Amino acid sequence: MAVIPWFLGELSRVLISWFSRSKTIRGFFHVAPILVKKNGNGKTENLLVETDEYSLLDLPDLALDCILERLSTSELCSMAAVCRSLREKCRSDHLWEKHMKQKWGRLIGNIAAYQQGQRFIALRNRAKLLKSKKKKGLFRYSSIFWTKIWNRSKENEIGSDQRNLFPVYSIMSWYLAIESGKFWFPAQVYNREVQNGQLGFMLSCYDAELSYDSSTDTFTARYSAHGRRTIEDKIEWNRIRAPAVDTPAHVLHVSDCLHELKPGDHIEVQWRRNKDFPYGWWYGVVGHFESCTGHESQCQCHLNDTVVLEFKQYTLGSRWRRTIINRKEHREVGNGADGFYGGIRKLCDPNEILMWKCLWPKTTLE
Amino acid sequence: MASKGNLTLKSCNGKEFIVEEKVAVMSTTIKNMVDVDDSFAQGVIPIIGVDGKILAKLIEYCKEHAEADEDEEVKSEEYLKKFDEKFVDELNLNDLYDLLKASNYLEITKLLNLLCQKVASMIKGKKPEEIRRIFNIKNDFTPEEEEEINRQNPWAF
Repeated sequence: MAVIPWFLGELSRVLISWFSRSKTIRGFFHVAPILVKKNGNGKTENLLVETDEYSLLDLPDLALDCILERLSTSELCSMAAVCRSLREKCRSDHLWEKHMKQKWGRLIGNIAAYQQGQRFIALRNRAKLLKSKKKKGLFRYSSIFWTKIWNRSKENEIGSDQRNLFPVYSIMSWYLAIESGKFWFPAQVYNREVQNGQLGFMLSCYDAELSYDSSTDTFTARYSAHGRRTIEDKIEWNRIRAPAVDTPAHVLHVSDCLHELKPGDHIEVQWRRNKDFPYGWWYGVVGHFESCTGHESQCQCHLNDTVVLEFKQYTLGSRWRRTIINRKEHREVGNGADGFYGGIRKLCDPNEILMWKCLWPKTTLE
Repeated sequence: MASKGNLTLKSCNGKEFIVEEKVAVMSTTIKNMVDVDDSFAQGVIPIIGVDGKILAKLIEYCKEHAEADEDEEVKSEEYLKKFDEKFVDELNLNDLYDLLKASNYLEITKLLNLLCQKVASMIKGKKPEEIRRIFNIKNDFTPEEEEEINRQNPWAF
């Protein structure tokens, strides 16, 4: 038992030395804390806080962090405007990542890819290191894509003052830029221009650049087509999605589902009015041939070399109602009158299909 | 000396508290001590830097939660919620800070979360000037910096 007093003594010694190293000691002994800070010129100065009461800043880092993690974005902004040390803490990426994901994750996509995008920018600017590296898939696409968007936004709207206050590539600066509406980001819009009274794009999804309006919680879209730029305001969240595939709007999507398409499947097909226009994604279903009764036990449509695509938002006689494509060598088919049908993607996610059903027009189109 | 199953905790100003082990080990720091060497269980554990008043508060909190963990029927979730609310509402700012520091050091995670939530709720809807006043923080921005902050974030306030 003699070991206990020794052990306790030793423990006390360890705890005391741990305490004297730790910031917490200030608070426990009720002394006015002396804060050593760096001023704007990088020199250190001593600031004596003229009070014997505690300050929030006397809390251990972990506890302070635990508090900041519970704040909303506008509260974090308020806290960042309180003093220098809180400004540093409140800008931290780990506090903003959660908010970014929560509000913008669905639209702006994978935050990791997005951060890599930023890293890509930084690397490219510093050493052009990525030239020698092979990048694949989403990362590559996102990187190029964000570089492009970021550079354009920088030139246009964000301006130099934004960059003085925030670390250029911090998540906070991205979040504020998106939220302020100064930052235009790419996404796709369902039923394009319906808010302008245009019904010609019902049940399609087009690429656009979007800007957010926090006062109305809606978006403004810029579309590029028809040789002129069109704008649509007051677009609700439910008409917007992140691009479902990485294929840009002017590039033919490589269809990988043609061999398996059978009547009843839900699809999206690229379509464009002429070869100078960007593609939009149009919703349709795989239909039966006229010779087929449509009865499951007799249907041979899935064995045919061609596939019928049906667009049921149009009336039966409409030239937009049906088109037939070749299963084996389909790339792009069409003509000046009917437009051009490009790549096809089969919809497997029930939520994607449900989304289209929710957008269904009230009347059939001619 | 505490009887079996109890621990003696000693505050920095010499007050001793005999508590059940299940209450004391709500603190991960104390739990680790006891796990390392169970002879602790029979000695006095000094809780350095925590005075008697704060230690009593800590024990009050841990007692309720340890009992609830053991028997949900006696102390329901509803009961605990009410207890927690009352517990934080009765604290003044200095006690709140002291408890935050102590629960951080003693690693009483549940309590730390509760107190942090309390502070966060005090920040909610406040302007920077009000936050400085409530939490006793000195404004160390230059007038130019402050002007810039106000210009940059109008949507946030």
